[in-house]
Amino acid sequence: MENIQDYIESGILEQYALGELSAAEQAAVEAQAASHPEIRAELEQVQAALGFYAEAHAITPPAAMRERVLNNVLAQISGPAATSSLRADVDAVAQTASRPVASAPQPVAANEAVVRPLSAAPVEVPASRSGWAIAASVALLLSLGGNMLLYSNWKSASSELVALQNEQARFATTSQVVEKKLGALQQENQVLRNDEFRAVALAGTKTAPTAHARVLFNPATHKVYVDVRSLPVLPADKQYQLWALDKGKPIDAGVLTVATATGEGLQHMKDIASAQTFAMTVEPAGGSAGPTLSTMTVVGNI
Amino acid sequence: MSDNPLIPLPPAAEEDLVRRLQARDESAMTLFYDRYSAALYGVIFRIVKAEDEAEDVLQEALVKIWNAFASYDPNKGRLFTWVLNICRNLSIDKIRSRQHRVGSKTTGLDDSLTAQRQAAPTAFRPEHIGLQEITQKLIPEQRQIIDMLYFEGFTQSEVAEELNIPLGTVKTRARTAIKVLSKLIR
Repeated sequence: MENIQDYIESGILEQYALGELSAAEQAAVEAQAASHPEIRAELEQVQAALGFYAEAHAITPPAAMRERVLNNVLAQISGPAATSSLRADVDAVAQTASRPVASAPQPVAANEAVVRPLSAAPVEVPASRSGWAIAASVALLLSLGGNMLLYSNWKSASSELVALQNEQARFATTSQVVEKKLGALQQENQVLRNDEFRAVALAGTKTAPTAHARVLFNPATHKVYVDVRSLPVLPADKQYQLWALDKGKPIDAGVLTVATATGEGLQHMKDIASAQTFAMTVEPAGGSAGPTLSTMTVVGNI
Repeated sequence: MSDNPLIPLPPAAEEDLVRRLQARDESAMTLFYDRYSAALYGVIFRIVKAEDEAEDVLQEALVKIWNAFASYDPNKGRLFTWVLNICRNLSIDKIRSRQHRVGSKTTGLDDSLTAQRQAAPTAFRPEHIGLQEITQKLIPEQRQIIDMLYFEGFTQSEVAEELNIPLGTVKTRARTAIKVLSKLIR
């Protein structure tokens, strides 16, 4: 390659990524990418850009589609093998079912075993005719019985499969929830282990002497987390609100969710630039612009 | 790049998915659906523009991805790129066979182009942060060309012909647009 830059600027990598090239041209581009890291890097960038464009147009498909599409896909990808083995089972059972009674020389399939004796009958001695007919009827009945059994087995197997698939889907959802929780816990762990965070103990006031909570405040990044140990339960239309007091002036640090107020975990609050004291008051759901001081539940200085 | 929420999967998780698919683990398809269906469905829907057909194509694509997985080579590029291309190709085949049924190829292309220009505003979802950023950064001419190339299955020369501009201009605009997009990723 005389000039890699010319090659890149020729626009062929874009054509490759957009799928405009013939198989031979594609192979040529792949060969160039394999031997020139610059070309490979440029190609990866083009592909990432188009992937980004595609991703920006993402549409979450309707929820009902998930099970429909996945069931069809799983049925199709595991379909061929399952059907052929089932077919083999049917043949095998049909053969064993018809063999002892009809004793036909080559009972390949149930139908054949049944038909052959009947059509062969006229050639036989008349006396054996009814014997053959009985044998054939018995073979037919056995074969029908065998088919019924197989059919009901197949039905229950396929409903079991659907049940298993549903269970699998539920399991996938559960593991997503668990992953999400794990992510939240990891984040909490990072906050708790970070030396930059200062723990501020908030003690209960006269209105709630046993109340107890902590604020984790990072003066450098201004991040604030709240960690509840014990707070009185509030009616549904009230929420705890955290305040930062900076030189005596209250600044809203956000309201606590019910989960946080019951001590379920850390909650990330609004950023606070500077504070000497943190306090919590009881406010109407959604919070207030200023603290209702008579409801102050916990307070603590840095 | 892995902390960008628009990149669907960190490389390690993608490798794990690839391994499971290579091992013919059917349960990996559920995971695959959960991770990629929104991105793939979005692209398919933009191309075929009908919900029922988009569902058919997505299903067809998933079966194809499973059956053709042996031909995926992680050294040639990311799984996401490979599956996106499969979905684009199936979708473009779908609209081409539809145009074929309707009439001659030229009128079919014209029809689809006008349909696309009308459809664009409804398909546009400004609440999507990535898309909003893109519309701010790409000039309309660049976006039109990228959409025709990516969502309409036009080749660069077909775009030049359709818009009556020189092929060189199409190439430059496409390259610039892709450059703008790759800057947005970082």
